[in-house]
Amino acid sequence: MDKIKVEDLNCFYGGQRVLESLNINVIKNEILTIIGPANSGKTTFLRTLNRMNDLDANYSRKGSVFLDEDNIFHMNMEKLRRRVGMLFAMPIPLPMTIYENIVYAPKRLGIANKKSDQDAVVEQALKDASLWNEVKDRLDSSAMKLSGGQQQRLCIARILAINPEVILFDEPSSGLDPISTAKVEESMIELKKKYTIVLVTNNVKQASRVGDRTAFFLMGKLIEIDKTGTMFVSPKQKQTEDYITGRFG
Amino acid sequence: MRKTIDSIIETIIFICGILSIVFVVMIFGFLLKEGFAFFKEFGVISFITGKLWYPTSDPAKFGILSLIIGSLLVTAGACVIAVPIGIMSALYISEIAPSGVKDVLKSCVELMAAVPSVVIGFVGMVTFVPLVRAVFDIPTGLTAFSGSVMLAFMAMPTIVTISEDAIRSVPWSYKEGALALGATKWQAIRRIVLKAAMPGIIAAIMLGIGRVVGETMAVMMITGNAAHIPHSIFEPVRTMTATIAAEMGETVRGGMHYRSLFAIGLVLFVITFIVNFIADLFLGKSKK
Amino acid sequence: MLKLNPKLSQKISYSVLLFATILAIIPVSVIVFIIIKNGASAITWEFLTAMPKDGMRGGGIFPAIIGTLSIVLCAIAVTLPIGVCAAIYLNEYAKDNLLTRIIKLAIVNLAGVPSVVYGLFGLGIFVMFLKLGVSIIAGALTLSIMELPVIITTARGALNSVPYSFREASLSLGVSRWQTIRHVVLPNALPGILTGAILSIARISGETAPIMFTAAAFYVPHLPKSAFDQVMALPYHLYIISTQIPNMPKNIIFGTALVLLMMVLSMSLFAIIARIYFRKRRKW
Repeated sequence: MDKIKVEDLNCFYGGQRVLESLNINVIKNEILTIIGPANSGKTTFLRTLNRMNDLDANYSRKGSVFLDEDNIFHMNMEKLRRRVGMLFAMPIPLPMTIYENIVYAPKRLGIANKKSDQDAVVEQALKDASLWNEVKDRLDSSAMKLSGGQQQRLCIARILAINPEVILFDEPSSGLDPISTAKVEESMIELKKKYTIVLVTNNVKQASRVGDRTAFFLMGKLIEIDKTGTMFVSPKQKQTEDYITGRFG
Repeated sequence: MRKTIDSIIETIIFICGILSIVFVVMIFGFLLKEGFAFFKEFGVISFITGKLWYPTSDPAKFGILSLIIGSLLVTAGACVIAVPIGIMSALYISEIAPSGVKDVLKSCVELMAAVPSVVIGFVGMVTFVPLVRAVFDIPTGLTAFSGSVMLAFMAMPTIVTISEDAIRSVPWSYKEGALALGATKWQAIRRIVLKAAMPGIIAAIMLGIGRVVGETMAVMMITGNAAHIPHSIFEPVRTMTATIAAEMGETVRGGMHYRSLFAIGLVLFVITFIVNFIADLFLGKSKK
Repeated sequence: MLKLNPKLSQKISYSVLLFATILAIIPVSVIVFIIIKNGASAITWEFLTAMPKDGMRGGGIFPAIIGTLSIVLCAIAVTLPIGVCAAIYLNEYAKDNLLTRIIKLAIVNLAGVPSVVYGLFGLGIFVMFLKLGVSIIAGALTLSIMELPVIITTARGALNSVPYSFREASLSLGVSRWQTIRHVVLPNALPGILTGAILSIARISGETAPIMFTAAAFYVPHLPKSAFDQVMALPYHLYIISTQIPNMPKNIIFGTALVLLMMVLSMSLFAIIARIYFRKRRKW
């Protein structure tokens, strides 16, 4: 079943087209990984899915994106982002305590108003992001003091706390060491049981490790999309083969 | 509920945002209204080119040429002193001073800017003015020269701070290029940094001028307030600002004299508007 | 022409620049020194807390201190919220369009309007047109408009120093724009905004021209009872006793100048030090 359906999406930055006539779907509870060289439009695509690009005055778009039955461009932006969470390339903990970071959005959105609810949200989110055991004794210390990998998992926990339907990962391990990366990947595989995941990555191997399906973008176009196993064994397009075998990009 | 609160607050924020425009328009409109009523009776040309300022005699004379010249003379004098010293200090602070000293110097400059003009005027009056009289052997030390010197030190913080910003924002790579070619650091500063920072420095000078033109208290206390056209910088002068400050208390509200002071305010407003507009243009350029 | 060795020319130039810097800073330091030296002897508890007497030639300057404080605090109470909101609008909401450019131009020009012209404007609008009379409130409103561009500019700087990524992180969680500003941006910009506000208070405490026709009185031998009273104010009092009153004892004038100067400088110094402290302690 399609969770997200993209129909003829075109995106522009300052008049220049960065995504061209994109048609793509994301199936419920899968990890769709998107690979491609720099400037292939993959991050623009991702940031269109929760309309983060709308903050940029130079950005414009045509086409439609459906989340279940609703066109996201007609939706209230805050409601959309509650349903479609996003993890950024660099971990961005807010300058508050670990506890406050997690309850920040639930409080603002009116999800958890009582202290007991908040405690429960924090514990569950941190457990789901496999961070609970490392931080349960210092929830009141600053989130800025965590290591990079812990910060990134904290950011995952922060998203889980608002209980979205889709989570977008924007090169989430570009600043992390291999061990932290492995932990983030583990939690991703765990998370797809409950959530639908779109992962943009520069790392072809990461795509092959976690992706159910993989899409290859090049110069603003979708070149190929297939089951990850199939694509990495026998890509249909020459360009895809060149990229995943490391001949360019 | 949350949404309505959000949109009410955002409306308030927007109103505050445009309030600056409202205030500028109001100030200009108000000066224009009073000034216009004055010009209708007295005429713009005779106001600006008239040499005599006798607002209380009968018939009253409202020529502000001597006041304009007074303002210009004091301003020019202050600039001759403040601009070179200010730019040199800015260079020293941003390029040469060791980093610990730099912070102290910048804080000093900021503190200097806070010293009230009436305090500077008072100290100038009791110390510098008698000194000028004795050194130059003139009948009074209350001269355009004394005013220029005191004002120079009031314009200094503006000039130093903004020039320093401009100099500091010159990219490192510019200097490195010159240094790599074997230039000394000073050559790099003089030939590359100064040139690249020029728009910002010009903006600093303009803002300094704006500050001096509008300065009131110190000028009123030091320049002697004689409304006549001076022949040298060692004579008393009277500026536009000092005229407004000194005479407003004695006027009849709504009378010609009262309105003439608003007309002077209008002239000042237009001058500082132009000066600041130019400064802003250069500041915009220096940011690119 | 004699061609100087570049190393030597660098040395000479550096010395000249150092000399210029000293020249820029020394005179004001001398002014401060003169005031402290001559004014310190006048500072007594009575001078700070008593009413003036003998035609202001004796007694204290208490009403002037209170007058200045009440004008300045009223002014900042008006201008700080407006200025911060305006800064939020410019920094967080405004698009790069004609309106924004006009607002910025207006701010630049408000900052450049001479203080005495503000005095005229305040007299015309607040004292006469709105019939507030010569009063604390009229002077405070005049000063608040004068200080608005400064507050806006420093508040914008403070807002701007909060990393953009914090806003993105908050917005990506479905939190609205205003809530993001309120709970993420403002708390982190607050130290910068407050130090800017203290610098502004210091600066307007020393302003004379804007309050001359709007709030300050030559001599009021009692404390203000309401915001609609005229008051004595330190800078105006200093102007009066140093120029208008014959045979004024010098140490009272210097003492008044010293009180004003210390008020202004200590607040500024406090703000500058607080700013350095907060910058060092910043978590990002």
